[in-house]
Amino acid sequence: MAPGPSGPGHAAGQDLAGESGPVSSPGQPCRADGTPPTDQVTGFTQGAGGPRHRWGRLSPRRRRLVGKAALACILVSYSWIAAASAPFSMRALVTVLIPGAVIGALAYAWPPRRIPPPEHLDVAGFSYWAICIAALFEWEAAAFKDNSRWWHPSLTDLVNPLISPHPVRTAAFLIWLLVGWGLVRR
Amino acid sequence: MATRVITIIGFALVILSFFVLHFLGRRQDSRIPTVGELFGYLMRPRVGRFLVLLGWLWLGWHYFAR
Repeated sequence: MAPGPSGPGHAAGQDLAGESGPVSSPGQPCRADGTPPTDQVTGFTQGAGGPRHRWGRLSPRRRRLVGKAALACILVSYSWIAAASAPFSMRALVTVLIPGAVIGALAYAWPPRRIPPPEHLDVAGFSYWAICIAALFEWEAAAFKDNSRWWHPSLTDLVNPLISPHPVRTAAFLIWLLVGWGLVRR
Repeated sequence: MATRVITIIGFALVILSFFVLHFLGRRQDSRIPTVGELFGYLMRPRVGRFLVLLGWLWLGWHYFAR
């Protein structure tokens, strides 16, 4: 009977240099510095227990950085695509509803670690905010009541031309996404 | 022309006041809450959370979908 993988010649720790193809057994060869060899084509490390990508060798801090950079790329790309949508189109609606659904699902089903809210707010401090918010609504309502004429424009009429250039609209959409994430954490 | 300018200045002042309040709230021992504290407090009950997120979604729809 021919010797199997566990037979003579395949004992753990034995140097297998000279055999063809990558081997992911515990007995694989190592570099002079003791690190497992890396496949130059695939980028996989031939570590014990199977091939391991370079990703697995990154420190947790670097992994987080790479993850954040990848997420930032995805968000910017999505914002760029969303900002290119024509107003009142189905595509524009869907590009807004998708983040809404994601944020809603996160808030309901998988809430992230929340920043602890204050137990109570100072009444005087809160009243400053209430006055400013009421002033904004009053100013907007006055414009709305006058049918948003040129001489008394609504906030929307003022903001829309500002965010009409594609890069600005992209930035505004990205800010909107980040505000949504910030709200979920609250 | 003057009425339009007054309207724009009014909006600018109100929005500026939000920033002023936020930065005043960041001072130590300030009685004024920051934007985060304000929303955190409003979002403590489930219904507040729902309404604030609905408002956020409405803003997105209002400015980017129409």
